[in-house]
Formats: sequence, C-alpha cells, structure tokens
Amino acid sequence: MHGRPRKAPTTEEQEAYAIKASKLRSLQSQFLQFHHNKIYTKEALDVSAKLLESNPEYYTAWNYRKLAVQHNLNLPDGDNNEEFIKSILDEELKLVENALKKNFKSYGAWHHRKWVLSKGHSSTDKELLLLAKFQKADSRNFHAWNYRRFVTTLKNIPDEKELEYTTDMIYDNFSNYSAWHNRSVLLSHLLKEKAKGYSPKDNVLTEEYEFVRHALFTDPDDQSGWFYHLWLLDQTVKLDTLLVSSWPPHGCNLSLSMDGSFGDCSFSPFTSLQSNTRTLPLILYFSEAVENICSSTVEVECENIVSNELVWTSLSGDGTGFAQAWLTYLNFPEEHAHSEKAYQVKVNLARSQGIFSSTGVHHGNSSHIEFTVSVPPYHSEHVDLKNEGKISWSEESFCTHDAQFLESDLVNPFHLERTKVDEKVVDYQWNITTINDEIAHCRELLSTMNCKIGKLTLARLLMAHDTLMSYTSTSHRNVSHHTEILQLYDDLKKMDPPHLHYYQDECSLVLLKQIISNQELLLKHCRKYRDPSSPRINNFCLRLNNLSLSRIGSMELLLWVQVLDLSSNQLKTLEGLEVMQLLSCLNVSHNKLCSFTALEPLRLLRSLKVLDISYNEIGAHSIDTRRYLCSSPLNHRSGDHWKPEESEMHGAEVADYWEAYAIFKDLNLIQLDVIGNAVSDEKIKLLLIKLLPSLKWLDGESCR
Amino acid sequence: MESRRVTKTLEDQRMVERQVRGIYDYFYSIPPNSQSVILELQRDKHFDFLTRGLRKLGPLFSVLDANRPWLCYWILHSITLLGESVDAGLENDSIDFLTRCQDKDGGYAGGPGQMPHLATTYAAVNSLITLGSPKALSSINRCTSYSMFLLVPYLSFTPVNIDLMMYREKLHAFLLRMKDPSGGFRMHDGGELDVRACYTAISVASILNIVDDELIHGVGNFILSCQTYEGGIAGEPGAEAHGGYTFCGLAAMILINEVNRLDLPRLIDWVVFRQGVEGGFQGRTNKLVDGCYSFWQGAVAFLIQRLNLVVHEQLGLSNDLGTESDDSSESELSDEEEHLEGTSSHVQEICPPQEGQENASDTTKIADTGYEFINRPIAMQPLYDSMYLQQYVLLCSQVDGGFRDKPGKGRDHYHTCYCLSGLSIAQYSWTDEADSPPLPRDVFGLYSRNLVEQIHPLFNIELDRYYEARKYFSCL
Repeated sequence: MHGRPRKAPTTEEQEAYAIKASKLRSLQSQFLQFHHNKIYTKEALDVSAKLLESNPEYYTAWNYRKLAVQHNLNLPDGDNNEEFIKSILDEELKLVENALKKNFKSYGAWHHRKWVLSKGHSSTDKELLLLAKFQKADSRNFHAWNYRRFVTTLKNIPDEKELEYTTDMIYDNFSNYSAWHNRSVLLSHLLKEKAKGYSPKDNVLTEEYEFVRHALFTDPDDQSGWFYHLWLLDQTVKLDTLLVSSWPPHGCNLSLSMDGSFGDCSFSPFTSLQSNTRTLPLILYFSEAVENICSSTVEVECENIVSNELVWTSLSGDGTGFAQAWLTYLNFPEEHAHSEKAYQVKVNLARSQGIFSSTGVHHGNSSHIEFTVSVPPYHSEHVDLKNEGKISWSEESFCTHDAQFLESDLVNPFHLERTKVDEKVVDYQWNITTINDEIAHCRELLSTMNCKIGKLTLARLLMAHDTLMSYTSTSHRNVSHHTEILQLYDDLKKMDPPHLHYYQDECSLVLLKQIISNQELLLKHCRKYRDPSSPRINNFCLRLNNLSLSRIGSMELLLWVQVLDLSSNQLKTLEGLEVMQLLSCLNVSHNKLCSFTALEPLRLLRSLKVLDISYNEIGAHSIDTRRYLCSSPLNHRSGDHWKPEESEMHGAEVADYWEAYAIFKDLNLIQLDVIGNAVSDEKIKLLLIKLLPSLKWLDGESCR
Repeated sequence: MESRRVTKTLEDQRMVERQVRGIYDYFYSIPPNSQSVILELQRDKHFDFLTRGLRKLGPLFSVLDANRPWLCYWILHSITLLGESVDAGLENDSIDFLTRCQDKDGGYAGGPGQMPHLATTYAAVNSLITLGSPKALSSINRCTSYSMFLLVPYLSFTPVNIDLMMYREKLHAFLLRMKDPSGGFRMHDGGELDVRACYTAISVASILNIVDDELIHGVGNFILSCQTYEGGIAGEPGAEAHGGYTFCGLAAMILINEVNRLDLPRLIDWVVFRQGVEGGFQGRTNKLVDGCYSFWQGAVAFLIQRLNLVVHEQLGLSNDLGTESDDSSESELSDEEEHLEGTSSHVQEICPPQEGQENASDTTKIADTGYEFINRPIAMQPLYDSMYLQQYVLLCSQVDGGFRDKPGKGRDHYHTCYCLSGLSIAQYSWTDEADSPPLPRDVFGLYSRNLVEQIHPLFNIELDRYYEARKYFSCL
C-alpha cells in the first residue's frame, strides 16, 4: 500500500557494500592521522582525495586540503613559479569536480571551489562550462546557482550576459523558477544602476511582460511564470509614497462647535465637529506606512499656531515608528470670544524631505492642503455631556438623510493638491497602459481556460489599475472594476477552497472600496439619527452592516466618519479603525470578534463615547482567531503604558481580565454593550463599571 | 516556447499528483474502520526502524560519516516524539559517542577527530537535551579539571555544573570564532557563510543560555539581506527563497528579538502558497512536494501564529500581581524559576529599548526569548490546512517503519525526523497554551494512536525535554 515494496539487497550486494565501507573507514583513520600530524605529502594528499571522492560531505578533509595548499604554496620551490601554483590549484579544482559528480549538493565541495577560485587561478570559461554541465543535470540546484552568482561577481561578468543565460535556461524549461528568480535579481541590479539599454525602466519591463507572457500562455498551470509576473507587477505599481488623504480635507470649510449646536441646520456631517477644548485633530493618511512625520517635515501655516510646536503621533501601535496615518491637534485660542472667527490653515509637505516609507521609498510629491476652520463665539453655558439619553442602534432610530448634506468634494478624499513645483509632472501613463495590456491578455487567456492563478492575477491587476487611476486626475475616476473583481474572487472561493479565508478578506476590501468610492452607493449607506435632541452625536451615521465583511479597509476614505455601524458582519479584527479619530459612536455587534484584544485599535480613539460589542464571540474560543494578513502583525509596544502602581484595581481581578483592562482603561465611554458574549458575566460588568468612571449605560441599563 | 507543451517539471508534478490522488481515492473509497487502520501511526514499526538505526547502520550510511551527530538527533528526536525512549545501553553509547565528537576547544564535530562544525554542534546539543538525563546533560565536556575543587567552597553547585560552566565557555568561544565580520556565522573554520549557520549558532547559544550581544551583533542584518521579493528567506543574499532557510532565518530572528524587521506579511503570502494540492508542502516555488517540509514550512506557519498584536507582556505581569511573596531564596530551584518567569518577561517587554543601555540589561532581553515565545497566546488560526498536512504525512510519507519524501521514494532517518516533527506541529497548531493537549478534532486519525509529543518550535526539541534543559541551564 505504501508505494513500492522495499527490495532487500542480495548477499553479493551486501558484501560489496561492506567492503566499500571498510575501505572508507580505513581511509578515514589514515586521513585523520595525516591531518592531526600536519602531514601534507603526496601520499597524504592522495588519501584525502580518495576520501573526498567517496564522501564529499567530509568537510574536515576539505579544510585539510586548504591547509595543504597553503603549506605547499609556501614551499621554497614554489616561489613565483606560475606553473607550480597552477598545478596545485588545478589539482584542487579537479578534485572538487570529481566530488561534485558524486554529490552535487555537497556544501563543502562547492565552498572549496569558491576558495580555490578566490586564489585567482581558473579560467572563467572553464567555470561556466562546468556550471552549464551541472545546471543541465539539475537546473534547480541552488548550490550551482549560488556558485554561478559567485563566479560572475568574481570575474566581473556583466549582468547583461547572465540575463541571456537565464533566457536560455527559460527557453530550455520555462518551469525553472530558479532561472526566473535569478532574472529578477539581475534585472533589479541593472535597473538600479540604469545600465545602458536598461533605462528607462518602462521599456525593459514592457519587454519582460512580453517574455513572461509566452510562458504563461504556453502552460497557464505552471507556477513559475506567474510568480515572476508578480514581481513585474510589483515593479509596475511601486510608486513613490503619496499623501492620499487628510482630515480636514483640502478645500473644506469646517465649523468647530463648542456645544454641539451648529447654529443653523445647514451644517454638513463631513465638515462639522464638536469640540469642548477648541482643538481640532489633523490627520494625514499616506499610501504606505511612513516615518519621520514631525514639525520639520510637515509645515502648518495658520495664525496663532506655531508649526514647530505641533506634536505628531503615529496612529499605529506597533512601535516601529512607521504608520500610514499621523495625527496632531490644532488648538484655537479663545481670544475672539464674541464673534465667529475663521482661520485659514495651510499644510505643506515638501518632496523628499526626510519622510520615508518602511520600504525605503521617500515621499515623492510635494503636497499641499488648505482648509478653513470657523470657530464660533464662546458660549458660557456648556452642555453637560452627562445628561444624555442612550443611543439606540435599532433600525427605527434611523432615517434616510437629505441628499443636500453630501458635499461631493468631501466624499472624494483624493481632492488633494499635489503641487508640482520644480519637478516634471509625474503621470502614470506607462503604468496604466501596461496594466491595461496585462488585463487584456489575462482576459484573453481566461476566455480559453479556467485557471486559478490566472484569475487571481487578473483580480490583482484590476485592483492595481483602480488604485493607479485614483492617483491620477479626477476625470477617469468613474472607471472601476469592483463588480468584476468580486466575481473573480467568488469563482476562486469555489475553485480553491483551502484559501477561502484569503479570498474572503480580499472580497471584503473590494466591496468596501466599491461602496465608499462611489457617491451614490455611499449615500445609500448613510442614515440620519432620528433623535435630534441628542446633541452629543453628530447625527449622521454610516451604516455598513450586513455586508459579510471579514476585514475593513479603504480607511483613507473614511476619516470623516463620526458614527459608524459595522454590525452583523464577519469581522474578527478591528484593525484599521485606529485612524478614525473622529469616531464617537461605534457598533460592531453581531460579528466574530474573539477576544478583547481584537478591540486593540480602539485604544487610540480618544473621542469614542458609545460602543456596542454585544453578540460577538469574546471568550468563546481559547484561540483568538483574528485575521493574519495584517500590515503589522507585531505589536509588542502596546503594553508600554501599563503602570500597575497606578491601578486602583485588585491584582486578581485585573489578572482575570487583563485583556479587557488593557483595552478599556484608556477609553472614556458613556455607553457600552457587551451582552451576548461568552465572557459577559456580572464579574466583568463590575470591572467595567470600575474601569470606566464616565460610563452611564451598560447593556442598556443605567449603571450609576 | 510558443507551442503548447508540457515541461519536465510539470510532467513530474502531474505524476506526483496522480500518485497522491490514487492513494487518497483509495482511502476515501474504503469504510471508516479500514480508513482508521490505514491512517494509524505505526509506532512499533517506526520505533524498530529507529532503534535499529541507532544500534547499527548499514554500510550505505557511510556518506553520513561527517554528519553522525545528525543521525543521533534525527533518531533520538523521532523516538521521543513517539513517546518512547531508548534503553540505558543505547543512551550510554550515544552519550559516549557524542562526547568523542566534542572538540577540546569547544563545539562538536561530525565524528571523532573531525573539525567542530555548527550544524553538528546543534545536532549534538539537541540530542543530549533529548536524552535529557543528568548524565547526558553533564556529559558535555567531561574534563575533570582540578579547578572545580577550588570553586567548590564558594559555590553550592555540583561538580556537574562546573563542568558545564566551563564547557559552555568553550562553546561560546567556538561560536564567536565562527562569527564573520559581516555579522553572520560560518559553518566551520573557513566554512560557508549562510542562514543555516546563523540559526544553529543562535539556537545552541539560546538553549544553553549563553547568548550575548557580541554573538547576536549583525546577525539580523545578515538574515534580512536574505529575504527575497517573494517573501521567503534564502540561504545567502541573492539566492532563492527556500523552506529550510526560511525556518532558520525566522527562528533565529525571533530568538534574537528582531523578527519585526522582516517583511512578515510577504513571508506569510509566500508560505501559505507553498502548501500544494497534495496536502504537503513544497520547499521552493514550483518544486515537488516533500514530507520534510511538513516541518520546515509548517513550523514557519506555526511560529507566525504566535507573532501577534496581543499584549502578551501583561501575561507576565499578571503573574507578578498574583505572586504574593518576593522571596529571593537561592536554595530552591522552583523559586528561582518562578522568579525568572515573572521578571524576565517583565524586563523584556515593559521597558522599551533605550539607547545607551548597559549591555547586561540588553542581554536579559534576549536571554529567555525561547521560553517567553511559547507562552505567547496564539493570535490566529493556522495559516495552512493542518488536517490536510497530517493526511499527507500519514498516507503518503509513512511506510512500514519510517517516513519518506513522497510516494516512490525510500525512507530515511532525516525524513522520519522531519515528518514526525511536522506531524506534531500540525496536531498542536490549534492549541492555545503550551503544555495543553490538542482537541481530538484537530488530530487526524485515531487520537489515542496518532497523537505525538509536542515540540518547542524554535529548537525542534520535545517540549518537556526543553523545559528540563532550560531549568538546568538557567541556574548555571
């Protein structure tokens, strides 16, 4: 049943093996004697050679050979005698060759050859010829490929020539991923150095796309070409880091309210914000995680605000110093107490001024944001926030909003001036054309056959296309492929069930992007909270419930949201929500959150007042099954603020619910729902009431 | 290339798929009773095959003459995973043999009289820890130096511990000698520089509790330079991502506490697509499935499960809060240990790295990473189909005594070791806490027959043996 029956060796064979083994044993003991006594005679060398030819793994003998070479080269008759030196080194090369014939995966043998070569005695041609022989026999042997890279570097063989070699290897067998890999390594060098014939990058990559297409079309089921294609795609969509959105958005007129009443009712949900302290959060969102956002890289111009006193914090808890979103607070003074005062705020990010992404790419374009903030006159009677009713998330509490509130330029977050002062205009024409071509080819391929990796590639291409388009001028923005991408992922879920979760996550991201980047669709998901007497919340709610989302994304388009309903989805993590700094009410009930640690991103939301985490799976599993493809799975810093001595809690209580403690201790919630979780019992409720002094409503009941 | 044709690579791939499908089709066509018989882990036969290997190897094994501690490790580790142990005679022989491989200046060689080598040092140290007895652990460098008599009045250590202290100093010196100015390690004096060497050096240093700044300096940079655009890690810069090296690189980065420097999302993308339609893993893109990658790739996925956002540092702290006394008595080992548990993770996690810190305090941060790591909660589901992997190992790699690469290949001790280690990884990939057994639903086949022992995923040592060793070496 388990494969072939094992054939017992015949008596003759057994005898032969035994003789061989005893020979080897005697060789070994002879060798060790010579080695330990530092004998490097012809006879001794012969013994070591025989030993290595039958067992190339015997690394001690390789080192002995090195010592012998050194020793013999230093003999008096070896002085400057080219012939003599050559004969010694040739002997070594010969031995390595024989040893490799026996076992061409021997680390020791390959390493010895490198050592001999670095002595400077071998012809390049001979080495390459030998390599060709070995690589023909085993084209995936990584020792041979490593040795090849070593030889070509040592002998200064141009990368162009090596590139030709990979071409030949690929023509010979296009499944040879080692050849494709080496191609990517060589091309990366050539492109980086802008070698002759390899600049501009665009032309080279276009040719590569054509080249790999042959392989893909010849056999779409073969993995190698597709993985190389992925590398090409990466080179095509890798752009300079950009500022993709901000809050407040560019060009808006914002009203800051002290008491929640916005004067007349023509305020917009996007541009009104209530603040008790005359402060306004300013959020910058980049296309990649960046570091070094500070007063010297970001200039903020506004009367009464001293730019270099602003403190920027990263909206990510991973402690690496990199984050996609960065936050600072603008403080407006109270001096104009009697009339509304409008402030002009200008934010400038100069090109490549010390802002770097985690992949080392600098901030590519200068960006400029400008907006107005109206600060109303100071009212003496503050609204007492504690006297508010509870918020109900039921369907009846909401009604459709009036369309007039939607200001198109605000829904469109890419409304961002990128001033191109001294630089040539960066357009992505080549990138877009290339992606378009690839999309066409991919579709053509899929029209003739059903291919898993082809579908995945097409989905990725379409996503890349939409992202690139969003960076260009506004006019093309309506072209998007969300429906098609969703269809592709649906097919993939059926074709490749082991990777179901991966595809589901991708689907969620596409779906969200589809809704949020389309004004009409977005409107359908916006509701107004019916109870206008509740001044606490901006009564404009984004409802993204019941969408089967397993992951959230497109956060750059959601910076304005203050009330968010994500209930009845499949969320296992809230990662991404940390950038929604205006969020005051959040409903994530009826999801799949498995532990309090899944709420980690909420710790950074200082304005959060109302939170519904009821009917999740907190405490139900021993394993926290949050998604795995997060941008930064390593957040070791989150415990930094833990100061047990400040805690008034009893150790034992905290120890039982340390996760809950870590999340809630920094929040100032007024209303919280935890009912319907495995963990929600009286004990945790008591802890929460203690932890949250401002809490008024717990699970719908007044708790003070 | 224009015409549609099938390459040799793809032909081979299809053939393997056909063979595997044949096995699976047959398996699913028979009644459940018979299925569980076929699925059964054939403990007795494996045990026979393994112990025979330790007693006497056929002459065909002479090519492994420079790798004899590896044979010891593969066999002893496999036996331990089956929940068995070797008899006293074999144990003594193994200890004697390994002792003879030990170099007078530190490190273990592939065989007596050969040069010390990092890989065989790793294998020898892991073998001795797997044997686990005080004799095994103290065997390490048996020089009965007179200096121990000088030390006895000042310390309450047993002579064994003094041996070990000296041994460890020598081993430490050996590791330092293997260090390349680039930050990486060489396998042996004048040997090759690669990620394997980094892992074996760091693993040995970590488990023997002799890690220091000098050893880890620059290791992270070297490993980082080996991560490829695919996301996996290669043996040396410029080479292709590979399952074995990816495990070595990732484990070493975790042990030196620099794992967040790797591009982990990419690494995840790479490793999840290495599990093939057969259920097993391939080692590199477009290569055939191979049972030994059940461990190398499976362990990568297993390690990633524990690299998480969770505020695990608080676990250490809640221990502290729970512990009433701050008794620092030195007499009892258990106290010593409890103390160590609480404080090491405390020191390590609560203080953010500060510049200009003393070396000593930096070292405490990495001193017990291996222990702290397995006590981290799992943050995510397994990144691969753990049942499907078990199916491949049991149905396609298992033979009557031993395991093999894939159907059609012969068994050997290497594949037996790494198939069993991979099986363990897969069975325990849903368990949240170190030390707790998996649920029956997570073990393919009959639970009572098929469940193997748990391993420490960073060292690939059976977990209880690891605890023993940690206790032993942490009090030196």
